[in-house]
Amino acid sequence: MSTSYLFPAAPELLLILSGLVLLLVGSFKDHAAGARLVSTLALVTLAVAFFATIIVTPGAAIYAFREHFVLDAFAGFMKGVVFLGALGTLLIAQPYLRQEKLERFEYALLVLFSTAGMGLLLSANSFLALYVALELMTLPLYVMAAFKRDTFKSTEAGLKYFVLGALASGMLLYGISLVYGFTGTISFTALQDIYAAGDVRLPIGALVGLVFIAAGLAFKLGAVPFHMWTPDVYEGAPTAVTAFFAAAPKIAAMGLTVRVFAEPFGAFVADWQQIVIAVAVGSMALGAFGAIGQTNIKRLMAYSGIGHVGYALVGLAAGTERGVYGVLVYMTLYLFMTVGTFAVILTLRRRGQELERVQDFAGLSKEQPLLALAAAIFMFSLAGIPPLAGFFGKLYVFLAAVDAGLIALAVFGVLMSVVGAYYYLRIVKLMYFDAPPEPFDKTIEPELQAVLVVTTAVTALFIVFPGPILGTAQVAASALFP
Amino acid sequence: MTAVASTERPAASGAAERVWRLFPALLSASAFLWFLTFLPVIGAGEVVRVAWPWVPGMGIELSFLIDGLALVFALLITGIGALVLLYTASYFATHPGLWRLLILLGLFELSMLGVVLADNLILMFVFWELTTVTSFLLVGFDHEKADARAKALQALLVTLAGGLALLAGILLLGILTGTFEASALSAHSELIQDSGFYVVIVVLVLLGCFTKSAQFPFHFWLPNAMAAPTPVSAYLHSATMVKAGVYLMARLNPSLGGTDLWFWTLVLFGGVTAVLASVWALRQTDLKLALAYTTVMALGALTMMIGIGHDYALAAASAFLVVHALYKAALFLTIGILDKKAGTREVDQLGGLGRKMWATWLVAALAGLSMAGLPPFFGFISKELLYEAVVTAPAVPILVVVFAFSASAMMVAVAAAVAVKPFVGAPTKAAEKAGEPPFGMWIGPAILAGLGLVLGVLPAFTGSFFVLPTALSIAGQPVEAKVALWHGINLPLILSILTIATGVVIYLKLSAIRGALAGAEARGIWDAERGYDWSLANLKRFAAWQTDAIQTGRVTDYIFWTTASLGALLWWAIVAGGFIGVPALQALPLIEWAILGLIAFASIAVAVTHSRLIAIVGLGVVGIAIAGIFVLYGAIDVAMTQLLVETLFVVIVVVALLKLPRLRTAFAHWQKGPRWGHATLSAVVGAGVTVALLAVLETDLDRRITTFFEQESAPSAFGRNVVNVILVDFRALDTFGELAVVVIAALGAYALLRLKAERPEPKGDAR
Repeated sequence: MSTSYLFPAAPELLLILSGLVLLLVGSFKDHAAGARLVSTLALVTLAVAFFATIIVTPGAAIYAFREHFVLDAFAGFMKGVVFLGALGTLLIAQPYLRQEKLERFEYALLVLFSTAGMGLLLSANSFLALYVALELMTLPLYVMAAFKRDTFKSTEAGLKYFVLGALASGMLLYGISLVYGFTGTISFTALQDIYAAGDVRLPIGALVGLVFIAAGLAFKLGAVPFHMWTPDVYEGAPTAVTAFFAAAPKIAAMGLTVRVFAEPFGAFVADWQQIVIAVAVGSMALGAFGAIGQTNIKRLMAYSGIGHVGYALVGLAAGTERGVYGVLVYMTLYLFMTVGTFAVILTLRRRGQELERVQDFAGLSKEQPLLALAAAIFMFSLAGIPPLAGFFGKLYVFLAAVDAGLIALAVFGVLMSVVGAYYYLRIVKLMYFDAPPEPFDKTIEPELQAVLVVTTAVTALFIVFPGPILGTAQVAASALFP
Repeated sequence: MTAVASTERPAASGAAERVWRLFPALLSASAFLWFLTFLPVIGAGEVVRVAWPWVPGMGIELSFLIDGLALVFALLITGIGALVLLYTASYFATHPGLWRLLILLGLFELSMLGVVLADNLILMFVFWELTTVTSFLLVGFDHEKADARAKALQALLVTLAGGLALLAGILLLGILTGTFEASALSAHSELIQDSGFYVVIVVLVLLGCFTKSAQFPFHFWLPNAMAAPTPVSAYLHSATMVKAGVYLMARLNPSLGGTDLWFWTLVLFGGVTAVLASVWALRQTDLKLALAYTTVMALGALTMMIGIGHDYALAAASAFLVVHALYKAALFLTIGILDKKAGTREVDQLGGLGRKMWATWLVAALAGLSMAGLPPFFGFISKELLYEAVVTAPAVPILVVVFAFSASAMMVAVAAAVAVKPFVGAPTKAAEKAGEPPFGMWIGPAILAGLGLVLGVLPAFTGSFFVLPTALSIAGQPVEAKVALWHGINLPLILSILTIATGVVIYLKLSAIRGALAGAEARGIWDAERGYDWSLANLKRFAAWQTDAIQTGRVTDYIFWTTASLGALLWWAIVAGGFIGVPALQALPLIEWAILGLIAFASIAVAVTHSRLIAIVGLGVVGIAIAGIFVLYGAIDVAMTQLLVETLFVVIVVVALLKLPRLRTAFAHWQKGPRWGHATLSAVVGAGVTVALLAVLETDLDRRITTFFEQESAPSAFGRNVVNVILVDFRALDTFGELAVVVIAALGAYALLRLKAERPEPKGDAR
């Protein structure tokens, strides 16, 4: 038996092996020094994994591990985005961990293991692989939420996340068992083949199973009505962890959701479309209205994340290749905007203390004009105002929805963008027009600078060079609709 | 925009810097000259279009188009832009934010040019929103004032909201016709107007245009935006940005116009806006506010003309567009001079300035005469066209004549109030320190006002190079209209004379009218802004309410809502799958009824009790009773597992729970009495699962796997208990792995337990 079947999974294997080795390295080193060494090596590993993904991703799908694992253009694209997200958030976490005296080498390891889970998740080609990869992704997240374990807020966040996450995993597993029981297979490929024949109805039990699976996925996405953990966990978790939550796992879960609905249940658009529409409508509305009253910027970002998942789901609801293309573009641009926004939040400090209130943005433009400019670009982009990247994300999903005849949904999305714009623009107003009560700390750590430059550039210049992202997303989307 | 933020430096710099300040104006002037070279081509009725591919596959091109309409706008934008930039450099000579203002104005000018030159509607929308954003930063320029900040946000929200509606309309148009090019849309006008989406498209597009161009009932943001510095108001809020909505209506007129819906909506909203705005303009004592309201009036009149839509109306709209931009920008800039030199804009405090500021008066008079519509000014030609258009309107001519006449008459009065009142009479206190402005501030308004006269005495030139090509673009076909100073004695001329007479009467009675209007306003008759405030306040209230209701911070509530949502989804699946039916149940023996009764009893006890111990024991009873059912059906091994797990569960949980405080003492919110909400939810979800299970039992199970193990366990693994064989034979390696995991977990737990003593006390705040 040759080992060539390991080849498609090279990036994930690299992450896991490197995690195991670094575990030993960290154990035999001093605290701070070990943490720095392990973090640096973990960053390198993530970067290598990103490039490895680009190299191994083939034109046509490759299957491995008895078809439990698939590597196609879709998986490759999403993995690239997720690995970038993990890399960016681990990078901006470094100064935070130093300043908050949280330098423990386990942090980088948890990121590595969780990211490996995301990679496997995006390549899952069976419900079994899906579940195992999902747990591999999620278990480190519970620990990360409680990473600042000597504060009640952080431990509470970890515990809440764990309790509700266990409930969601249970629902997902129950749904999977029903689907298996009524279709006799857990393979995505097999499910797709069974129902490719055309006008077959989904067996009753499998439909109930689909409902439970959808609920479980919605939880991982942080979509309404299974979103309740997000504001509490985002607020309670250390800010660097929140940044990671907002970027990587959310995007991985979106990739998984798209694959599950488009591949094994691809023939039953009519059945799941209504669920996705309901979830999208609820998420857009709650994201928009919920954020308005928030005074804590991390909670606000939680609601913002809920809303953005809603917009991305508008694309999925179309159930077409164009819709999936919209989702991919949306999530990619969302990654840059959200990582950039968190980089801004992590930079804001006053006398060494981190600032979490929305009010703390007041007067930023007076003292740190460039940082304020970057923040304003992210806010305008998150609000979906052209010519910034966020506008194009929304444009593609709305176009796909209108194209699929979901005009009411698209119009509702546009309306909710108006409400949503209010709270993003309030922050711009605070930064540019209000006066700072006290001076901000002036230093911007080099890691944050680097991430800020890259994310701002992508957000602002997407309009000029849309080609690379659009082109790859197009190829990735077509992989799901052969 | 990098430069915007980093150029905040004191303006007291050297001579070189003072020269550099004129550079933006120079750039804008060169652009103006470049656009002038297009005049002969466009005047001949031709169109220039350039395009590059941008987002291939989505039908989005980087395409620009110059026709009569676009060229007139481009000339106004660059020409007035150059003069305003020049004026600003002088007006804010000592202001530390001068460069920030100049750069923002420049950015705005570019965005506005983009709006009028873009042929692709998506591209147009991108620039459209850019004008909104730059205008936001410009209105809030004096950010030391809380009022300026609030008004900036208001203008931004109103126009952004409309902008997004516009986007929805554009998307519909694009999907319907397959093209986003405005120039290609008119070929599809029948397709658009016959489709079921026509009304939706018109409503969405007009929402965008009406909010941007301050039509009733969205007009309130424009006067409020007068918190902006005067040069900004002159440029954005009279000459350019507010006309973007009018521009778009004109641009889309060939594709969307010509229907009853278009006619009535535009005529009624435009007419009402024009009349109401002129009444409000009379009411103002702040001259800048009065001008702002007359701008709203002008926008209403333009909307009405586009709505009427025949040749004379479009020619009138084209002429009025140009003349209004010229005189209004000139007057705004003049008010800026008065504000700067006399220190006030209040009409009552200004008087007798004519002697000290005769050059300024000259400018104001020229612009005012054009605004009042006296010959031989361009304003007169424009008003003649307007009256010609309304008396020949295809429907309700009387109504539109009334609209046009009353608005124009009041305009005469306002023109007099701005151009005459401050300069005549006895000098007030403010007049004592007044004096002529520097040349840089005077020349801009002077050129603009002078142009009103020049274009007026050259009607043939004006008509063939500006008015008719623009009207052609709006109509989508050549138009017939006579642009001249003298049309002979006809109805429009008589109306014109009556207008001026009425206007003068109103001017003479102005303070009495103002008093009456102030009384009406105090009673809150026409306060549309309240709608905005009301919506904003309620938005915040609704947001707070729903956050409190949903996001309580208690895991109990989260689990409640999660379960409730799952229950709803489940019932949806049951109903959508259509599997409500009564399955054939067999009669149960007595012993099974007894066990079921036990389960029901224990479940109710769990729901009712307030003691954790009873709840846990109740759950244990349910589990053990289920084990009993397994026994009855002969699954002894499963029953054993169930019993063991249940026992362990009860013991472990009880040990943990005994360390916790009592529910009622620990949690203030713990509800006394039965928890009906939770009980109902449990019943609903339980019923759902039951129905689903019963339905599931009705269908055939896929027995391939069961059959495989039944057939293979004895011959392959020499065992007859299928479950055991699976565990220790077929998947022995898995079992081995599971054991390893359990052992490692136990080791870990042991290590953690030993560490217990070292744990520090938690610190920080809990929710």
